[in-house]
Amino acid sequence: MGDDNVNLPPGFRFYPTDEELVVHFLYQKAARLPCQPDIIPDLELYSYDPWELNGKALAGGNYKWYYFSRRTQSRISNNGYWQPLGVDEPIISSSSGKKVGMKKYLIFCLGEAPMGIKTNWMMHEYRLSDSGTSSRTSKKRAKPRESSKWVLCQVFERNDGSQGSFCDNDQELSCLDEVFLSLDDDLDEINYPN
Amino acid sequence: MSVNGQSQVPPGFRFHPTEEELLHYYLKKKVGYEKIDLDVIRDVDLNKLEPWDIQERCKIGSTPQNDWYFFSHKDKKYPTGTRTNRATAAGFWKATGRDKIIYSNFKRIGMRKTLVFYKGRAPHGQKSDWIMHEYRLDETSATDTIATNSMGEIVQEDGWVVCRVFKKKNHHKSLDSPSNSSITTITKSQMLDSRNDGALDQIIQYMGRTCKKESDSISNDMRGLRHFDSVTSGDRFMQLPALESPPLLDHACSSQACYHPIEAQMMRNSETSLTNQGGSISNLNPVYHTGQGLSDWATLDQLVASHLNGQTDTSKQLSCFSDPSLMFSTSTHDNDLQLPQIRSANRLYQHSTQNFNSEIDLWNFNQSSSSSSDPLCHMSNSSV
Repeated sequence: MGDDNVNLPPGFRFYPTDEELVVHFLYQKAARLPCQPDIIPDLELYSYDPWELNGKALAGGNYKWYYFSRRTQSRISNNGYWQPLGVDEPIISSSSGKKVGMKKYLIFCLGEAPMGIKTNWMMHEYRLSDSGTSSRTSKKRAKPRESSKWVLCQVFERNDGSQGSFCDNDQELSCLDEVFLSLDDDLDEINYPN
Repeated sequence: MSVNGQSQVPPGFRFHPTEEELLHYYLKKKVGYEKIDLDVIRDVDLNKLEPWDIQERCKIGSTPQNDWYFFSHKDKKYPTGTRTNRATAAGFWKATGRDKIIYSNFKRIGMRKTLVFYKGRAPHGQKSDWIMHEYRLDETSATDTIATNSMGEIVQEDGWVVCRVFKKKNHHKSLDSPSNSSITTITKSQMLDSRNDGALDQIIQYMGRTCKKESDSISNDMRGLRHFDSVTSGDRFMQLPALESPPLLDHACSSQACYHPIEAQMMRNSETSLTNQGGSISNLNPVYHTGQGLSDWATLDQLVASHLNGQTDTSKQLSCFSDPSLMFSTSTHDNDLQLPQIRSANRLYQHSTQNFNSEIDLWNFNQSSSSSSDPLCHMSNSSV
């Protein structure tokens, strides 16, 4: 999964950071530079239901799918629509400390807006920040509208209760380990009172 | 393609092997003396390497890493015994919890041991944030490999393990956030002081305290947890004064009929939901009805938020520090703060004229808003 296009040994997976998605992939897409590696496909707007993405979008680690789409306000698919959640979050460049993009949270709803039924499918939609695009494109004067036409979508299913060795040990201690860890000192006292 | 030299790993790609890959691909090859294509996992003498040096020693390319991998050969502590010597110059690795069985296609292939690094010498070591998962192959599968690879030679070579080291997430990172200007100096110093173990500990502590009133069997299980009440010498619960409000709890116990069943349910749920990170969000939702104080609320908010967000990038939106009731919650939590913030905004909107100390109002409000089984309804309410 995920490393079909890149010849890497077992264990390497596409686990991009938000910043990498924006700075590396989205900027290059907007600037019409060839992406290296060119692994994230373009998908037509939002016509695919999230469960149809397998095989069409890039499968990353942790069962997430990545694709470019044209920027639009109506995110309607065959069987539902993507509804925005909450407020957008800025993506800050770790090197410059500047805002490079924005991240929107969406949830997939079955049916027609606004009466759709919420599902477990979530999307993070990344776009270039307005200031970022204008400063970037002002030099070349390539049409700014053109350059910000793309968004990068990351789609995943929030899993309730299904297991995988991934979710279990990714980055963090499993919470059960945390419990044991917290108990550790107390257990010591119990086991070795002296 | 070199990995430990100049990076050729394409952007966005990281070494995130599954436990199965670690055992069945990397460790099996190591044990069987097979060549591994890429030198991603290095051999390390654990006794000569302090955890803070692992980062430099085991980096893969130049991409930022949160965890590091290496092979280690277990040295016996005593020539005759079976215990492993995991001491370094500065401290020692101490096992915690129970070993976890690793399965591949429902077949047991190996075990995972979790260890914590303590600085100093046993038994007076000081616990650090460095964690190690040590994977070993089951004897049967290891000898299988050896039998097929060693041309009839019987090699007693069962000492190789593959390890993953990472630093338990801490909360110092949030201090670097540019948006923390609204934090008062008091909170800041609290955050600096607190080497806390996050929301989970608070929940455990909370459960440990409240379960005194539960049945004996549960109380016995949780006996160790109650211990947390007396932990004052450590610096782990510095941020908890808000939880230490017995009148509030007593009030809750006596006045909320649903309190005990829900408490029990929460305890039952906690293990399943906590082992599957990201799962069982809806199970925890009923806890909102218990009408606890705001500090407990915040704790649960965090839990739900961390479950919802999984491993979302930790961009800090600390504007919720301006909400005094959530100040403590955000200081103990380093996951994505997006959701608590939304929720706090939601509450502010709904209760802008009301006192935050009014538990009942909050309870009513949240009861109505969490009537759906979907915890996200809070968010959708606030989205325009």
